Amino acid sequence: MMRTLRRILIIVAVIVVVFPYSWVVISSIKSQAALSDPSRLIFRPTLVNWEAVIDGGILGSAATSIVVGVVTVVIALLAGTLAAYSISKWRTGGDQTRFTVLLSEMMPPAVLVIPLFYLALNAGVRDTLAAVIPAHLTFVVPVVTWFMIGFFDAVPDELEEQARVDGYGRVQAFFKVVLPQVYPGLGAAAIFAFILSWNDLFYALILAGGNTRTLPVAIASFNTFRGVELGTMSAAILISVVPVVIASFFVQRRLIQGLSGGGVKG
Amino acid sequence: MAGLRLEQLTKRYGSKDVVASIDLDIEEGQFTVLVGPSGCGKTTSLRMIAGLVEPTSGRIIIGDRDVTDLEPKDRDIAMVFQNYALYPHLSVRDNISFGLRARKKDKAEIAERVAYAADLLNVEELLDRKPGELSGGQQQRVAIGRAIVREPSVFLFDEPLSNLDAKLRVEMRTELLRLQRALGTTVVYVTHDQEEAMALADELVVMNAGTIQQRGGPQEIYDHPANTFVATFIGSPAMNLVDGSVDDGTYSGGGLRLADVDAVAGPVTLGVRPEHIHPVGDLTDEEATEPFTALVDVIEPLGATAVLSLRIDDRTLRAVVDSRWLTGLAEETTSEFVFDRSRLRFFPR
Repeated sequence: MMRTLRRILIIVAVIVVVFPYSWVVISSIKSQAALSDPSRLIFRPTLVNWEAVIDGGILGSAATSIVVGVVTVVIALLAGTLAAYSISKWRTGGDQTRFTVLLSEMMPPAVLVIPLFYLALNAGVRDTLAAVIPAHLTFVVPVVTWFMIGFFDAVPDELEEQARVDGYGRVQAFFKVVLPQVYPGLGAAAIFAFILSWNDLFYALILAGGNTRTLPVAIASFNTFRGVELGTMSAAILISVVPVVIASFFVQRRLIQGLSGGGVKG
Repeated sequence: MAGLRLEQLTKRYGSKDVVASIDLDIEEGQFTVLVGPSGCGKTTSLRMIAGLVEPTSGRIIIGDRDVTDLEPKDRDIAMVFQNYALYPHLSVRDNISFGLRARKKDKAEIAERVAYAADLLNVEELLDRKPGELSGGQQQRVAIGRAIVREPSVFLFDEPLSNLDAKLRVEMRTELLRLQRALGTTVVYVTHDQEEAMALADELVVMNAGTIQQRGGPQEIYDHPANTFVATFIGSPAMNLVDGSVDDGTYSGGGLRLADVDAVAGPVTLGVRPEHIHPVGDLTDEEATEPFTALVDVIEPLGATAVLSLRIDDRTLRAVVDSRWLTGLAEETTSEFVFDRSRLRFFPR
């Protein structure tokens, strides 16, 4: 009985997840005429939407998103890893710090965007990546920190102490012994951080919605005054979603460990 | 190799002295065991010697160097932790050679020393494996090997056998002793297991509540415990303690009355080890005290000996007797016993 119920639940869950993807895939290969009737399942597939979206410069936006993502990830890993180590091993700021790290995630982006906009304006970097990257760091660094705290908690203190007895100072012991233990977590955190940055529309739209458009901004622009260009938008969405799905698949186990790990102690 | 000296060493957390001004002088090449219950300050003392915990006050001297303010790496010590602390990402070979590589030793010398340690500890065939593929005993050997190759002045061991099963623990204990005798290095070893402490120590340091209760040879401490804490902590089953008083050379208390005892008058605690309680007839009249009657509550046969729980009034004494006496004893019956007069201890109260 329970087994049947579980199966039904899994089938429902799969449908809920797979259905929207299938819809988008089908829409991306439908002609404009076929799209006007969503219920039409028999149609002649076409690549016009894909040609249009690629000719429309979507790959340039994807490249912009990659640059923003990579720079954000590098900075976030550097800052977040060191912060996580400090919070996990040194109890920096007391036992509650690990939870307050996540408080910033609860702040609506709308609260931060105006100060960030003014800062970018005054610094003369509005509509450049230099405005978007710091904005992404505001939500990526806390997540990476939270993520890595759990991984550092799992490293026995004795390993570092042993390295210090064996001949290394604190900094060397960290790099030689502690850091290698969290490499898998670091990899998963990097992918997760990249996805967060890759998916952001809000900051990218407001701080750099003009010439330097990231992928989500470019996708949003298919909603034009003439209406939503469903076909091209679907093709663009697929370009945006596929890397995320693939990455999530490979890091799913570490992802769960990282997301729950920071809450174990405290 | 070098000796080790602790002078007025103190560690205070808040208002609590975890280690309270201890002085200890450990001779070169000596195997010293710090033993005591959890929270007695033994591990904190060891970690202060290692440089992993900063003392609140006091000095640590290794050889003729004051190392109190030195980093662990500069103290010329090696340490084996309770959980072995092997680097999981490195092979056994790299684990053993880690400290030598950190000190930028010559490659040929590293290879030679690793081979020597691997041979000494019988881990040659494990050198290319990762720690995760080893059993507890093998991990322990690797951890010891990693300490040996460094050829430090002092070895520090923090309960290194407590994660092993009972049989392996005894085997490793013997092996540790053999190794220490062969290398002649000064060892400071921490354990809460008094049997392990007795077996290993040249000198035993019994600690409680951050202070040293007694130090000396294991047998000396066993035979002449300085106070009731040491008396009950060292030895298993523990020494029996009976409160009473001595008046005019006669002890009375707990249903016992013993004439001609060697103790000063006043309130005292009588201490008698379980193996110094004998059935009447086991000792000569000169050796024995006057007999007393006790109810044999429980008999636990252990093969060569048996542990008896004896009831006198509402007090229980534990006795260890030769099993040949078991034929004359039965549970829930009374019998007569004597103490070995020369082995009675009296602690002033």
